[in-house]
Amino acid sequence: MTIENVLLISGALFAIGAYGVVSRRSLITVIMSLELMFNGVVIAAVAFSRFTPSAALLSGDPLTAEAIRSALTGHVFAIFVTAVAAGEAALAFALVFAMYRATESVEITDASEMKN
Amino acid sequence: MMVMMEVSTLTTIAFWAASAMTLGFAAIVVTQRDVFRAAIALAGSFLGVGILYFVLSAEFVGVVQILVYVGAISVLMAFAVMFIQDIASGSRPTQGRLVAGAVAVLIFAALAFTAYNTQWSSMDEITDPVAVAALTEGFVEVGIGDDIVIESPGFVDDEQVVIENGGAFTDSTASIGVLLVREYMLAFEIIGLLLVASLIGGLLLMRDPRTTDEPEKGSASV
Repeated sequence: MTIENVLLISGALFAIGAYGVVSRRSLITVIMSLELMFNGVVIAAVAFSRFTPSAALLSGDPLTAEAIRSALTGHVFAIFVTAVAAGEAALAFALVFAMYRATESVEITDASEMKN
Repeated sequence: MMVMMEVSTLTTIAFWAASAMTLGFAAIVVTQRDVFRAAIALAGSFLGVGILYFVLSAEFVGVVQILVYVGAISVLMAFAVMFIQDIASGSRPTQGRLVAGAVAVLIFAALAFTAYNTQWSSMDEITDPVAVAALTEGFVEVGIGDDIVIESPGFVDDEQVVIENGGAFTDSTASIGVLLVREYMLAFEIIGLLLVASLIGGLLLMRDPRTTDEPEKGSASV
């Protein structure tokens, strides 16, 4: 398990998600694929946190607890992305429901009538 | 040394198993026509990612992943699928499927090329022995007042190293908590605001437009 391998998995998940976003017609599946892309990005953040040192640890200055904690910045980033993804999922489904109520369809090709 | 080898092998096996689980279920999500099955596969993929976080020794992120993604977002997806009636027609692919596949392969190729052709800085570049001790697994940490004492058995012959100003790495959950309320305080508050905004926005969009704010005359309901 090296950083290259983890980034490879992260990139594969992102690419699969990107394929799903473009190739699926149902909005629900598109949102699912978006969540997969989010996960790919977060894996990369955690991988960098795990395998690469933060600048504060390489600077050579006297070590502080703050510098040690900076090794966890990637984890904090992961938590923020997760929070944003959760909010996004809730809002996206509300939009899908609103569209379903208006057009009786959740297909992306029918979404061109959202003007009113 | 023998034990270390075994642990490392186990980690490798767990990593590849979790990766296979993640990518396999993700492939089902984007190819499955039945939306409900796609939602179940999505939960499996999220679970694989959670295992991956544990393998990467990010326990707290792993727990958050399982709670938020597997526990909440997957359920939300399943509810959405059940609420929307004409789901029987399934999730048909668009005409741009081949183009989408080509673009996805290109994205993956670019990311993989970057991953393998970049000279990533390594943890080995850290020379400060205290930092090495703090980041190496399997050391003992004792906190006395504001100072932190790190005792590392296999490191500088039982010598204790004292870091002033408190706080250390081993307990990643506690350190993430400190980071959230110190360095990232503002972002933390803003994310709370964002969640409230998305909650209110979701409620507003979900509201049935036929129900008015004023109750109809003669209706007893409040």
